[in-house]
Amino acid sequence: MNLRVVFANLYVKLLSVYREKTTMFFTLAFPIILILVFGTIFMSQDNMNFHLCVQDLDQSKSSKESVEALELNGKFKITRVDPAVDTAQYVRDTKVNLVLVIPKGLEKSLLRRKFFNDFTASATVTYVYDPSSSSVSTKMDILNGVLAGINQEMSRIPPFLKPVSKSILIRKYRFIEYFIPGIIAMSVMTLSLFGAVNMNTELRQKGIIRKLSTTPITRTEWILSDILYQFTIAVVSTTLMLLVSYAVFDVNLHINAWLPAFISLDVFAFVGIGMILTRFTKEAQSAAAAANAISFPMMFLSGSFFPIELMPGFLQKIAKTLPLYYVNEGLRAAMVFEDTMAALRAAAIIGAFAAVVFILGIIATKWEEGQ
Amino acid sequence: MNKATEYAIEVENLTKSYGDLLAVNDISFTVGKGEVFALLGPNGAGKTTTVEIIDTIRTPTSGKVTLLGMDVTKYKHDIVHRIGVLPQGFTSFDRITVRETLQYYSRLYHCRNTDIDGLIGLVNLTDKRDEQYKNLSGGLKQRLGIAISLVNDPEVVFLDEPTTGLDPRARHEVWQVLQGLKKAGKTVLLTTHYMEEAELLADMVAIISRGKIIAMGSPVELIHNNADTQILTLQSADEKVFEIVRRIGFEPVHTNHNNIRIRVEHTEDVQQILSAIKDAGSFYRGLDVRKPNLEEVFLKLTGEALRDGYVEGGEAE
Ligand SMILES: Nc1ncnc2c1ncn2[C@@H]1O[C@H](COP(=O)(O)OP(=O)(O)O)[C@@H](O)[C@H]1O
Ligand SMILES: [Mg+2]
Repeated sequence: MNLRVVFANLYVKLLSVYREKTTMFFTLAFPIILILVFGTIFMSQDNMNFHLCVQDLDQSKSSKESVEALELNGKFKITRVDPAVDTAQYVRDTKVNLVLVIPKGLEKSLLRRKFFNDFTASATVTYVYDPSSSSVSTKMDILNGVLAGINQEMSRIPPFLKPVSKSILIRKYRFIEYFIPGIIAMSVMTLSLFGAVNMNTELRQKGIIRKLSTTPITRTEWILSDILYQFTIAVVSTTLMLLVSYAVFDVNLHINAWLPAFISLDVFAFVGIGMILTRFTKEAQSAAAAANAISFPMMFLSGSFFPIELMPGFLQKIAKTLPLYYVNEGLRAAMVFEDTMAALRAAAIIGAFAAVVFILGIIATKWEEGQ
Repeated sequence: MNKATEYAIEVENLTKSYGDLLAVNDISFTVGKGEVFALLGPNGAGKTTTVEIIDTIRTPTSGKVTLLGMDVTKYKHDIVHRIGVLPQGFTSFDRITVRETLQYYSRLYHCRNTDIDGLIGLVNLTDKRDEQYKNLSGGLKQRLGIAISLVNDPEVVFLDEPTTGLDPRARHEVWQVLQGLKKAGKTVLLTTHYMEEAELLADMVAIISRGKIIAMGSPVELIHNNADTQILTLQSADEKVFEIVRRIGFEPVHTNHNNIRIRVEHTEDVQQILSAIKDAGSFYRGLDVRKPNLEEVFLKLTGEALRDGYVEGGEAE
């Protein structure tokens, strides 16, 4: 093996892609656009949970104090709704998913309970909500908790069970932080798979592969240069994704040696699959179609975009057979959860897969044209 | 003299089949060192298959091929350093310049002292040296392809249809480059379906049709051995002349520019035709009698034209 030959190939490939400005732009921009779009959606969804509309029909000192108490509680950002408004219509029109209605007579009931110990005196608050909203039940749960707390306090009996929460995570992570490792794993997969398929079918069609088979370059040198090329592209793409994530969403991720390790395993696995596809498909188009058929379901089933726990059980079982799942798991374990054991486990699985596929890819790569 | 030093290429009873298709059918020939050898034949004749077996891209079904004294199926590793190949329809990396392309290929041969600029000069690309491949015209691309096949200063050069698809001017420019190779003493195995190319460049021509060599020799020999006919051309003849010639038992053919072309066997035939025209009171503007060229030799030997759209005697451009 001659490293000069390997680097000559690497140089020509990098120079080609660098000069192909539009292709390069779209290749690198696609995952970044995904991060920006989904990041923004998640941010606004996070905010939606903490936004609460309150309609105070009592308009008394006590009811006003209650609303202020809700506000001070810190869990909600309160919007006050005019008592004259029809709340059902309001929910429909403004697309807020819930309005809390404080009934008329709240103060009266409160005073009766406080000063006459009349335990039959109560007030019914109403949740006017839109059941089609996905986040409304969470909001109602939080609200129930707050109301339970108020009731508990008014009973003046100290609680018996006192919950204290202890997170398994060192700190709370945001959804965007969970999302980014998935996008990195997915983009490296797509770059490697399509990169390998497109480059090799193109060079085969151009006759360059045939020409190369009459020169001293060996298959090993060629494949090694291909891997180095795909790895370089993956590193550039990942770096850009991380820079954007830090700059725009101020994420807090752990960047360490696991990141390049998982990126290279990702590259090996999918360049290997690409080489196998190139060998077994005659036309460039069918190779690309096969690459699509492999990568598309993988993107959605392996938990790149959302936790697989949200999927039905049988889909979760399928997810666990997909190589990309282990890259996702591994990268998240390393970058978000700081779980070395989980990262190691994922690395072992994807590493074994990559080794097998890559060796098959080398065997499948044909240098000579004829038999 | 040792056979291995005498011949650059020896092909003995070479056969190649693709499934049921016999693409190359038991052919044998030798190419001497420093010789330019042309395989002339139409599409599908088996030229590429033959060349690519010799230059180690494909493997033979049976037969023996020796290149520079080495069996091609056993010594690929040594052979590749000593040959240069321009495959049929070869194209290079679109975005890489002429200079960079030659540098790239020379690195593949581990050559450190390739005279890149010298090569660029040899194929007359000096003013295009920083142009990207995709911006070159067809003729320039082929000239670069030839330069690429020379980066390792090979002893034997394989050029598979180097001028197919080029316009006449670009073709002539490629021919100039190839004549340079010949002067430099390279052994060249060339395939083509242009007879002028074979006539102009080749020391030896093998005419190949349906996987078999049907005639072999120097261009002059080939023409001489098959020149039992001559070609009479009547210029700007009118329609009546065509009829008259046919009536007296010849087979006239219309060619371009209203010319009529007649294959004749003896000089007396020419006189017979001319007097028949004169007697009928018809006329022609000029005439020409010559020996057939390789194209017509090919047509005579195989009954097929070398290229689609070839009009007998017409310049198929
Ligand atoms: N790889 C291949 N597989 C099957 N058939 C082939 C292959 N290569 C060439 N052929 C067939 O072999 C015959 C000779 O082809 P080729 O050597 O390319 O001829 P030429 O170069 O003279 O045009 C043709 O009929 C062609 O279709
Ligand atoms: Mg051919």
